[in-house]
Amino acid sequence: MVGVSEVLNTVQMGLAYMVIALPLTLSYRVTQVINFVHIIFITLGAYTVALLGLIGLTNVWIALGIAFLLGGALAVLDNVAVFEPLWRRGSDVLIIMVASLGLWIFYKYLIYAVLDKLFIILRTNTLSVLVRTEGFPSVTLGAVTIDGYLIDTVVTSVVVTLALYLILMKTRIGKAIRAIADNQTLAEISGIPRGRVLNFMWFLAGGTAAVGGVLWALFQTTVTPEIGDQIILQVFSIAVIGGLYSLTKTALGAFIVSGTENIVIAVLHDTFGLPLSFRPFLVFSVLLIVILVWPPLGAGGGLPYRFRIRPRARR
Amino acid sequence: MEFLINFIISWLPIFAIYGILSISLNLEIGYTGMANFGKVAFYAIGAYLSAALTMSVMLSLVGKSVPLYSIEAVQALSTPGTGAIYTHPAAYVGLFVLSLVLAFIVAGVVGYFITYPTLRVGPAFLGITVLAFGEMFRVFMRNYEPLGSTKGLFGLNNPFIWIGNPQLSQGLFALVSLALLLAIYIYAERFVNSPLGRTLRAIKDDEVAALCLGKHVPRVKATVFFIASGMAGVAGVLWTFYQGSVQPDTFVPILTFYVWAMVILGGMGNNLGALLGAAVFTLVDRVLTFAAGMMGPSLIIPPNYLRWMIVGIVIVLVLLFRPEGIRPAKPIKTPAWEAVKEVSEGG
Amino acid sequence: MAEPILEVKDVAKYFGGVRALDGVTLSVQKGGLIGLIGPNGSGKTTLFNVITGFYVPTRGEVWFEGERIDGLNPNEVYLKGIVRTFQIPRLFPSLTVLENVLLTPPNQIGEKPLYAVLRSRWEKQEKELAKKAVKLLRRFGLGRYIHANVSELSAAHIKLLETIRGLMTNAKLYLLDEPAAGVAYDMAKEMFSFVKRLRDEEGLTFFIIEHRLEVLMEFVDYVYVLHNGKLLAEGKPDEVVQNKAVIEAYLGG
Ligand SMILES: Nc1ncnc2c1ncn2[C@@H]1O[C@H](COP(=O)(O)OP(=O)(O)OP(=O)(O)O)[C@@H](O)[C@H]1O
Ligand SMILES: [Mg+2]
Repeated sequence: MVGVSEVLNTVQMGLAYMVIALPLTLSYRVTQVINFVHIIFITLGAYTVALLGLIGLTNVWIALGIAFLLGGALAVLDNVAVFEPLWRRGSDVLIIMVASLGLWIFYKYLIYAVLDKLFIILRTNTLSVLVRTEGFPSVTLGAVTIDGYLIDTVVTSVVVTLALYLILMKTRIGKAIRAIADNQTLAEISGIPRGRVLNFMWFLAGGTAAVGGVLWALFQTTVTPEIGDQIILQVFSIAVIGGLYSLTKTALGAFIVSGTENIVIAVLHDTFGLPLSFRPFLVFSVLLIVILVWPPLGAGGGLPYRFRIRPRARR
Repeated sequence: MEFLINFIISWLPIFAIYGILSISLNLEIGYTGMANFGKVAFYAIGAYLSAALTMSVMLSLVGKSVPLYSIEAVQALSTPGTGAIYTHPAAYVGLFVLSLVLAFIVAGVVGYFITYPTLRVGPAFLGITVLAFGEMFRVFMRNYEPLGSTKGLFGLNNPFIWIGNPQLSQGLFALVSLALLLAIYIYAERFVNSPLGRTLRAIKDDEVAALCLGKHVPRVKATVFFIASGMAGVAGVLWTFYQGSVQPDTFVPILTFYVWAMVILGGMGNNLGALLGAAVFTLVDRVLTFAAGMMGPSLIIPPNYLRWMIVGIVIVLVLLFRPEGIRPAKPIKTPAWEAVKEVSEGG
Repeated sequence: MAEPILEVKDVAKYFGGVRALDGVTLSVQKGGLIGLIGPNGSGKTTLFNVITGFYVPTRGEVWFEGERIDGLNPNEVYLKGIVRTFQIPRLFPSLTVLENVLLTPPNQIGEKPLYAVLRSRWEKQEKELAKKAVKLLRRFGLGRYIHANVSELSAAHIKLLETIRGLMTNAKLYLLDEPAAGVAYDMAKEMFSFVKRLRDEEGLTFFIIEHRLEVLMEFVDYVYVLHNGKLLAEGKPDEVVQNKAVIEAYLGG
């Protein structure tokens, strides 16, 4: 049954997806690199709120702030230590992307190893933590209860999106970021300090993604080291819907995917008895359809090759 | 000596499996420039296909109609001495061989059709699509009851288990794996040292220019994907028979990047390098497991985490400090050289 | 002159609001040496991109040897016998000069996936092609560079290599995008004399974009002038350089 809860879930999930996917598109557009460490930003954010809750710090706003700083710092570190040196040497973007893959794997198991130790120190299970944090209280409207986490999510995502918009559109550094995205060489010729601007961009991207990770943890309510990996498919599908180019379409993609995962599956379940475990299939179908029908040729680089369905008439 | 032999026969099949996987990935990324982030999907297809096929045929041979994942199936198949894999050796080996062939074809065809539509959208999107496909396959298997959902399928063993002597049967399996690896290596070497190999390099350099020179780039790429995915399917079959079972959570995305690390370390665009990379990583893995056994919980980082951290950091460090890997890409060898000499000597 | 080999009929190509081509009609005669000029951004490269199947035109048709080719894919257009070069040369850096040339013949036996591993099947063809390639490279003074990496070539040699690559095939029409750009004057003249020789000796057809009118005008027999995606003028070289509108476009643009 598609009821209020599906709709509310769609909203909460979609907002979390949006906050996670926007910085992915942003960083891709500026650097042409799909950054797999993005998955770690999510996990990092999720664990920030979960571990803070575990030691009794249950203010969600503090958690969001700390997550932002951690995610941003990690992103800048990656850029300075790995991406920028590779870029300067003239490495292919594919190579930089693979390096980010390596970082992703390294961090992921570093997190596992650290949690393993924490497990012993804190004497509690840290590999699977229930999120305990407090923001807005839940609100009951008639028969519908709106969860406090949902309100936190709405507030946070609105603030984050607005802030991103303002920074990119209204500030000097935002203009510099956009200039680099449009044309690296031209931007550098016109005296934009590429290194510093990119570091700022990465800080913004990593921080926002980690904030998204907090929101994702609020939606999941339980945090595991796989929490970021679990939504690889969704996040990348959303970014592909945005063509890894348009921030607006990325936001739209977040709701398309979350709607697919909540409402479409529910409808198919009710009418055709489709098992709910088929959820990833629907997301994958969305991804394939987008790639087939609106191939993101412009941003992703592509082949001027067209599949012809019907042969054209000849003389 | 005894220890060494045991070590080698237990390591060789793993080396063969990863050797095949890294050669196949090298065909894609090293020679053609296609980023396959979902190698594991085709490996999984091979593994599941061989398990399902072998188990269901063997069960029907002994007249049992029980679900593949049931404990009865495991008993009927692999009770030492009386299980079907002991009593029907010819069928068992035959199914092993048939699995190899079918896995190549099925994984290859799936690879062809999954990638063909996405081949024009650039390496990043291709990689993501295949990665997503692999994850989807795993999630499907986790939920697909007839093939055991999260528990997977049990009840198989080494294809020569019926011989009785474990060292002999394992040794035989190790030899068969090695022979397959060798065959695939030779095939790959010939494949790339040909006019086709030249076209692949051209596509890697500049696919748009290759397209403008009349090369049917999507088809060539899909063909390479067919072959490479088929090889991964073969590796999957070896895995099933080595392990005796399949579980969905073996096929996590990270496994793909394990193979990537091998290819990157060995040298992209060099088949021998890919083999070297596979050898290094599988040996390190063995050593780690061994060390963990020796040191027990005193090890600061549990070996399973350490192994993956090494994989990740090796990828990053090699790309940063020795991007060409242990063995840099080799130029293509075709008889064109000889012809050039003839012309020079003649004129 | 003979019948047209290439006909462009009312071709338009829009990129969003940008009208890169806006109703261009022109034709190239068989055996012709035709120039295409115009100020920067006038749509010359876009026209080549439409002809070679890089883009599908927004409107209009392209005909080659009595066959409609607009909307075909670039590889199919190549197989029909149209070879192009790029404004920024696109050679394959991981292949040697010889291999860059050997790559071009279509439908090589050794390119078929099934035959690639069977060396005996394609060895003979490969050797023949290699001999042909070596002769070709020698003929154009690249004999010394046969086994060189393309990064060792000078700009002029790169342009030359891109052009003669097509001679390995039986291509009939050559679209050259600024072959003399970045090439010293003498070298540029030499390049054009090669082109002229090829036209005269082999009966090939050339359609050439060139900014350096002083080189171009000496060799071509007919010139089209593009401006803002429209055909501004056409005619014999000496007529065109006298044309007021053309002079204005060049000065203004
Ligand atoms: N893919 C594209 N997307 C958007 N606009 C394009 C694209 N390709 C070309 N244009 C625009 O079309 C116009 C014509 O470009 P084109 O490259 O054909 O000019 P050109 O005559 O070759 O110039 P030049 O002499 O500088 O090579 C330009 O304004 C250019 O910005
Ligand atoms: Mg141009």
